[in-house]
Amino acid sequence: MSVEVKPESEEIRIGVYVCHCGLNIAGSVDCAEVAEFASKLPYVVLAKDMRYTCSDQGQDTIKQDIKEYGLNRVVVASCSPRLHEPTFRRACEEAGLNKYLFEMANIREHCSWVHLHNRQEATEKAKELVKMAVMRAARLQPAVEKEVPIRPEALVIGGGVAGIQAALDLADTGYHVYLVEKEPSIGGRMAQLDKTFPTMDCSICILAPKMSDVGRHPNITLLTYSEIVDVKGYIGNFKVKVLKKPRYVTEDCTACGDCSKVCPMIAPNEFDIGLAIRHAIYAPFAQAVPSTYVVDRELCLNKEGIVVCDKCVKACERQAINFEMKPEEIELEVGTIIVAIGAEVFDPSTIPHYGYGRYPNVITSLEFERLINAGGPSGGKLLRPSDMKIPKTVAFVQCVGSRSEKTGKTYCSNVCCMNTIKDALLIKEHWPETQIYVFYVDIRAFGKGFEDLYRRAKKGGVIFIRGLPAQIIEDKKTRSLWLIGENTLQKELYKIHVEMAILSIGLEPRKETELIQKLLTLSRTPDGFFMEAHPKLRPVDAATGGIFFAGCAEAPKDIKDSVTQASASAARAGILMAKRKVTVEALTPIWIPEKCKACGLCVKVCPYNAIKLDEKSKKIEIVEAACAGCGTCGAECPFGALIMRHFTDEQIFAQIDAATEINADKKIVAFCCNWCSYAGADFAGVSRMQYPENVRIIRTMCSGRVAPKFVERAFARGAAAVLVSGCHLGDCHYINANYQTKKRIEKLWKKMEKAGLNKERLQLAWISAAEGEKFASKIREMQAIIEGITPEEIEKAKKLFEKALEP
Amino acid sequence: MPVRIWRKPLDLEKAKPPRGEIHIIKDRCKGCGYCIEYCPRRVLEESDEINKRGVHPPKVEEESKCVVCSFCTAVCPDFAIFVVEKPCEGGC
Repeated sequence: MSVEVKPESEEIRIGVYVCHCGLNIAGSVDCAEVAEFASKLPYVVLAKDMRYTCSDQGQDTIKQDIKEYGLNRVVVASCSPRLHEPTFRRACEEAGLNKYLFEMANIREHCSWVHLHNRQEATEKAKELVKMAVMRAARLQPAVEKEVPIRPEALVIGGGVAGIQAALDLADTGYHVYLVEKEPSIGGRMAQLDKTFPTMDCSICILAPKMSDVGRHPNITLLTYSEIVDVKGYIGNFKVKVLKKPRYVTEDCTACGDCSKVCPMIAPNEFDIGLAIRHAIYAPFAQAVPSTYVVDRELCLNKEGIVVCDKCVKACERQAINFEMKPEEIELEVGTIIVAIGAEVFDPSTIPHYGYGRYPNVITSLEFERLINAGGPSGGKLLRPSDMKIPKTVAFVQCVGSRSEKTGKTYCSNVCCMNTIKDALLIKEHWPETQIYVFYVDIRAFGKGFEDLYRRAKKGGVIFIRGLPAQIIEDKKTRSLWLIGENTLQKELYKIHVEMAILSIGLEPRKETELIQKLLTLSRTPDGFFMEAHPKLRPVDAATGGIFFAGCAEAPKDIKDSVTQASASAARAGILMAKRKVTVEALTPIWIPEKCKACGLCVKVCPYNAIKLDEKSKKIEIVEAACAGCGTCGAECPFGALIMRHFTDEQIFAQIDAATEINADKKIVAFCCNWCSYAGADFAGVSRMQYPENVRIIRTMCSGRVAPKFVERAFARGAAAVLVSGCHLGDCHYINANYQTKKRIEKLWKKMEKAGLNKERLQLAWISAAEGEKFASKIREMQAIIEGITPEEIEKAKKLFEKALEP
Repeated sequence: MPVRIWRKPLDLEKAKPPRGEIHIIKDRCKGCGYCIEYCPRRVLEESDEINKRGVHPPKVEEESKCVVCSFCTAVCPDFAIFVVEKPCEGGC
């Protein structure tokens, strides 16, 4: 590791830039006053306020000043470092300043936006945030980043249209791709659909050629009937374990179907949502890729070790059936991963008053797709399941499992409005006399060509009624249905008789989302879909390096958007792989042999096994490529023998000290992890959630970096309360480092309790990047706690932790 | 939640899985119970009857479940059981 340490004698010269961000900051913070204040801080040689610091002009000013004034540290007080730190770091580098000598004060997301109506207090807070940044900046050290090679191979998880497109794009670019699909065939949800909106193309007709392209592409290894069981490693170097389930049919299969014909066992076919049967040996659907048949061992008469029935084996001319096949574990090494696991559909039987599951003629929009499909179980006839007759009146009910507090799915599922319009037009096309009602909340026809299709439906006589039915009642004799509700445009009740009702069901996250989240250390929104690194500017990147999203895994979306996103994620992954290397942030620890007692505590807490202790020589070795920089080891070391680069004790102490210099007894010192809680606080800012201004946030990469001495220092300095917050247990960006956080805080609580201190002054909270409101309410809650804290208690804590003040 | 499958498949009537007619030659049976044990559809069970050899031969518990895999025939050491496929109703 090469760290250039500047000679001690060099004078520290800091430039401070306070950004107005138009009125985003200047609207509630007096930026000129903050700059004036900053200019008087130690080490500061110049302080300016600027309208848009991130603009070219702003960056040029910084670059010029670095040269003209000999600045060797730069502080920008503006938005979140999660947004513009890379921008300013680059500017510094261009001016010849090491990027680790740049620091940001977040006075937008953490100040102006959350204290919109209190200009004076927001300004005071901004000053302190700048002071904290300046004190930290003075202690920053330059560092050189290590380069990590990137394997030019990619893994795509999920073989729906998004995964297919991403795999094809990457493979066509020239990278090797592993496409892993859980089901026996690729194709996903799109393969089940009849037509696609707004152009009414046949779904499988446009998908099947892509599926076969995947099947025969020399750069794609297709692993169907396979699941991801483990992922290790980091950007550029992931090690993935895939479990390939046995199909019991070899690749010699010609898909002739002779086996299926003789198989005595039948079950509902999942592909047709149970509207047709399949045998125990089957192909999921006609266009399946690979076309190789598969045996459902749950259904097959042959159990492990015993072949009871060999009818299929005898029927197979090619002798492609082999009941001896075993599950296979395959290890892959890839540089990038695209997550395209798709979405599940809502189960409407959870809404009892629509009668789905009880009334045969209430069907879902997905069942409709199979019924209207010429290759489907009814040969393309929309049949009433009760009597196999074509209905003369049909109702569509929108927002089933979307936009509803009751079902817990408050989001819009994005595709159902247009899907219904398309379905209505399909019915009109086949049976023009059919009377069609659409019951809706709002019709969202926002995309290219959508409005035209909506107009066509209206012109074609489809009746749109605003207001969902409160209830569907079945006529026991005819099995027809009565829909009862309120037309909210005409403010009158309706009771409409139809022969069939189609529930337009929404999309929800797959249950596998949770597993993939854990394996890849990703975050999810409150809706349960994966969260992107930035909603506008990095919409297909995960916060974890080298991982990208495509399709409904990220949010419900239609085919066009899924394909767009898939191509985008392939391009993003391709950029990384084309470079063949990536620099990793210089956040790894430095070992100080003189202080080390070779106790091995650091080795035990490292989530990556990146620290090795040689028992004989008492030497520590840090495997830099494996270290992710969480800092848990540094927090654990009782002797200060591990210096966490860029998050040193000294730097963090400087921030704590600056935060508690004045009115400490009114302050909350908050330690937030970079990935979840700091981002959660940013989210509170973006959403303009207002909370008390007395909180001072200190960012660490992981809550595991928060050493007990940081908390003790804050209390010793007279802070009223301390908040330590990180990712939810199990969701830690550093595998399990936050369990160490929990242990340390529990220990501190005990210590406080023993000394008779109110342990509520130290709070531990798990706040995800999407839980802005949770962060804001936590601060409000803590504000209530500190209001009850007496000066005596503050003194008592100061005394108890006084040791922490020693340098 | 995965898609719920609850309807009767539309082509269920058309699907005609083989149905068997089970013949047991009771007095040949020595009561080993292999046929009962190995029947994958659990079609057979021990009867209360006592045959010539002084054992309980199997009896058919539910013939409609039999799909004519004929594994009972294959495992019977005494050639005491065989299955004949029933012609399908209404013709195949």
